[in-house]
Amino acid sequence: MRRLTKLAPLALALPLALPFIGVSSAWAAGSTNANLTPVPLNGSAGSGTAMVQVDGTTIDFTLEASGLADGPHAAHIHFGADARHECPTASEDADSDNRISTSDGAPAYGPIVVSLTQTGDTSDASGLAVERFASGTSFQYMRGDVTVDPAVAAAVTEGQGVVVVHGVAYEDERKDAMSDLDPALPASATDPALCGILSAAPAGGADTGAGGAAGQQGTVMLALGGAALIAAAGSAPLIARRVRG
Amino acid sequence: MDSDRRGRRGNLAVVAAAVVLAVFGVSAVAVGLQQATAGPPPAPPLTAPSATPTVSPAPTAAPDVVPAPEPPAAAQDLATKTMPRSRPVALTIPAMGIVDSSLVDLGKESDGTLEVPTDYGQAGWFAPGPAPGQFGPAVIAGHVDSKAGPAIFYRLGELQPGATLSVTREDGSTAEFVVDKVERYPKDAFPTAAVYGDTTQRSELRLITCGGEFDSSTGHYVDNVVAYAHLL
Repeated sequence: MRRLTKLAPLALALPLALPFIGVSSAWAAGSTNANLTPVPLNGSAGSGTAMVQVDGTTIDFTLEASGLADGPHAAHIHFGADARHECPTASEDADSDNRISTSDGAPAYGPIVVSLTQTGDTSDASGLAVERFASGTSFQYMRGDVTVDPAVAAAVTEGQGVVVVHGVAYEDERKDAMSDLDPALPASATDPALCGILSAAPAGGADTGAGGAAGQQGTVMLALGGAALIAAAGSAPLIARRVRG
Repeated sequence: MDSDRRGRRGNLAVVAAAVVLAVFGVSAVAVGLQQATAGPPPAPPLTAPSATPTVSPAPTAAPDVVPAPEPPAAAQDLATKTMPRSRPVALTIPAMGIVDSSLVDLGKESDGTLEVPTDYGQAGWFAPGPAPGQFGPAVIAGHVDSKAGPAIFYRLGELQPGATLSVTREDGSTAEFVVDKVERYPKDAFPTAAVYGDTTQRSELRLITCGGEFDSSTGHYVDNVVAYAHLL
C-alpha cells in the first residue's frame, strides 16, 4: 500500500510527460565511472569499480570488486528522482539497529532501476536473484547491450545513478537479523557492502600546456645572456689597465 | 698608500661586476639554448578518428510500440590482475627522466573539463576515476610546458611502446605498467570513451599532456597526447 501511494504521483505525471518524450532529442550518451567504497556501519571492507557506458537507452557495464565478505553479491544501479543521488552515511541508520539496510539507504540512492546480473533479466524484478549475481570475495564481469529506461539512461549520464553492491558478513547479534527486502533472507545477504556514484568522465581534452616550449622565449634569454657576456668581455681591457696601473 | 688601497678596491669592484655579468650571461645563454633547442614538444602523428562512431545517431522518432526487450547476452567473466584502491603518491618514468615525482589529486572543473595541476613540475591523478593498479583506466595528467619552457610531461610524445613506468601508492605498494601506445588527438575530437571508459577490461593507466600546434590566441595547444599503458 505504501508503494502504491508512492507511485500515485508518478502515474499522474506520466501522461503529462509522455508527449514530450518523442519531441525531446536528448540522447543520453557518455562514459561514467563509480568508485565503490564501503558502506558505513556494515563492517564491509574492500573496494571496487563500476563503469557504465551509455548509448541512448542501451548501456554496457563492467563491475569489479575485491576484499568482500564471502557470499552472494547482488549489485544494482539505484536511482530515484527524489533521492539525493548519494551513498548513505552512518547517520542514516533510521531504525538504529547499527546497520545500514538497503531501505535505510533509499533516501540517499533511491530504488533499484537496473539489476547488474550476469545472466537473464536486468530489470528491478531481478533485484534479489542472488543466483544470477557474482559471489565470493572478489569478482569482475562485464555485460553489454542492456536496455534501460530513457529516464535511467539520462540520470546515469547526469551523475545521478548510484551503484550498490550488497552482501556483508555480520559476526555479532546482527547475524540473526532478517532482510528488510525479503524476510526469508538474512540481512547480511542484502545489506549494502559497497557504494559509489556514477559520474561522467571529464568533458573533452586537457589544457596541459602554456606554450613556453613552442614559442620564442628561448631566443629572448639567448639575447639577454649574449649581451651580458659582451659587457663582461668589454670590461676586460679596463680591468687589465687598472691592474697594471 | 691610501690611494693604492682605493685603487685596489676599485679594481675588485670592476672584476666583481664583470664576474657577475659573465655568470649571468653564461647561465642565460644556457637556459636560452635549452629552451630554443627544446623546441616544440615531441608529438606522435595525429590518430585518425575511428571509422565507427562510438555513439550512434539519435533516432528521429520514438517507436509507437516498444517490444519486450530480449534479455541481453550473459556477462563475460574477467579474470585480470588488479590491485585494491589506494591513492597514488609518486610517479617514475625512467624513459622521461621522471623519478619519484609526487602527484596531486585532480577533479573536474565547473565546466566539466579535467582540472590540471597548478604546478608545471608536478603531474596529477584524476581522483574520481580508478586509482593506478585498480581495475579500469586510471588517468594522470601533466603539463607539456610552462610559459618559460618544458614541464613534467614534455617528453611524453616520445615515449615508446614497451617502456615501463611505475606508480607508488599510499598503501606502500607499487603498480608497474608497460606502455602500449602513444597517440595524439585534436582536443575538439578527444576520444573520451577510449581514454576514460572501460574499453580494455583490465587495470590500465593513461598519461595525458598537450601537443601539436600552440594557438597563441587561446593560449592553449590544439591537441592532446595520450599514452596508454597496462598493469604488469
